[in-house]
Amino acid sequence: MGKLLKFELFKLRKDRAFWTLVFGLIAAAVFYPMLIFFDEGFGTDPVSVRDLYTTTALGGNNYIVRLVPCILAGFFISSEYSIGTMKSMGASGNSRFRLFSAKLFVFSLGAAIISLIFPVVMTGLTAILSGFYDMPDLGYFLRTLGLTILYAAAFSSLMALAASIFTDAGKTIGFLILFFILIDSILYMLGQEFSFFETIYNHSSFKLYLDISKPEFGSGELLKMLLVPLITYVAAGLIGSFIFLKKEIK
Amino acid sequence: MEEFVLRTNNLTKQYKNQFALNKVNLTINKGSIYGFIGQNGAGKSTLIRLVTGLAFPTTGKIELFGQSNKTELIEARRRIGTIIEGPALYPHLSAADNLEAHRLLKGIPGKECIQKTLEIVGLQDIGKKKAKNFSLGMKQRLGIGIALLGEPEFLILDEPINGLDPMGVVEIRELLKKLNQEYGITILISSHILSELHLLATHYGIIHKGELLEQLTASELNGKCQQYIHIKVDNPDRAATIMETVLGTTHYEVLPDGTIKLYSHLEAPSKVSKTLTDNALLIEQFMPMGEDLETYFTNRIGGVQHG
Repeated sequence: MGKLLKFELFKLRKDRAFWTLVFGLIAAAVFYPMLIFFDEGFGTDPVSVRDLYTTTALGGNNYIVRLVPCILAGFFISSEYSIGTMKSMGASGNSRFRLFSAKLFVFSLGAAIISLIFPVVMTGLTAILSGFYDMPDLGYFLRTLGLTILYAAAFSSLMALAASIFTDAGKTIGFLILFFILIDSILYMLGQEFSFFETIYNHSSFKLYLDISKPEFGSGELLKMLLVPLITYVAAGLIGSFIFLKKEIK
Repeated sequence: MEEFVLRTNNLTKQYKNQFALNKVNLTINKGSIYGFIGQNGAGKSTLIRLVTGLAFPTTGKIELFGQSNKTELIEARRRIGTIIEGPALYPHLSAADNLEAHRLLKGIPGKECIQKTLEIVGLQDIGKKKAKNFSLGMKQRLGIGIALLGEPEFLILDEPINGLDPMGVVEIRELLKKLNQEYGITILISSHILSELHLLATHYGIIHKGELLEQLTASELNGKCQQYIHIKVDNPDRAATIMETVLGTTHYEVLPDGTIKLYSHLEAPSKVSKTLTDNALLIEQFMPMGEDLETYFTNRIGGVQHG
């Protein structure tokens, strides 16, 4: 398994799509606070780092965590089928389960890195520019970052599952972006008609991710916030590896 | 008994009502170069995909290095190198990086093998050029280099000389011969370029419509390829009459270009040439010949189609 992780990490390091996304997001995370500061004037009315972190960095990150890794899924997973390298992987003498697991793990790592850029870079730069004015509590900061990684991993597991089904970068990206844009509305609408779907939606990673910026969690709520993405990650990972196990590689 | 690298037993692959492979019993002996011949869609790639684990048989058994159960087969595949339907390259990576990726995939310790492999396939001076900018020949050579990583005992090469220029074809042929003779690597090679296979293979398997029609050694093939005397004279019609009346044979054919293929009197060609010249025919070409692999293959599958 170790060698497969090294193999996938090597490819992620060399993946141009990944670095384009990373640098694009870093640029956005740098430019946005700069615009605020230039707009409001340095030092006249200090910007609250806590507010910016909660509303802009975490709020805006919702779209990044759900949508940007969809592009990576297309290029990092599905394109292996179209360029033929999946064939050499399938014939390499490694079990399909290990191949899929290594790919999922490294793809999740890539998605986690992408998911952290906005909260970390934007908050860090804002803190420097505002002279560390009204900083968020460290415990809260770390908890939200941890949950961001966890939900990014859960979503990436669903993305890897779709990427294994479609085996074409364009189809994968198109489907996943539509899926992640529409899934909340679809589950919400179904929930209005059938209470079963409301329960599903309320206990899904899609809904719970919107709550990660809450300042406090009630008893059992944090456990739910942790368990749901973990279960999503494992369940989608297992289904994905089962599909990959049965799939004929063309 | 010869040691085998690959053996299939009644290997069958069925897609709905169509058999891509039908009860194929194929054996590849250790140290051989096995030329796998068949038309497009005959089942060559399907068999290769089953052996390499990319597809799954409907029924039948695959034995690779004597291993046949699922887990053992996965392990056994570590001892093979493959090119399946074209070289599998990362287009945005250089030759060295492509080899590095596959080195990591195969878990080969040490990076020394990369430079060595680049030298074997003649890409040591390619530098940082990305694979997407390679010529087809360079891609094929890099594909072979990837297949060679980890010193495999068995190479499975599906159309490895496709798109190569004549010099490239010769280079790859010499490389494969060297790998076979000096390193003892067994090679399964499928190609449409039968003249090339004829120069390389020690064994042949002919597959047609999913059925393995025949397996034979190179010497058996040479024995089976029909021998004839190739004759070109100034008046083929008169030559035909003389062959029937004087030599007493109808075992010949006159081709549209006037060339005559004489299948009898192979043991006495001088008698034939003397008879023709004695009858005032001007001989332009006269040589004993044998059919090549292409003709044999065409006849073999033609026989099935019309038989």
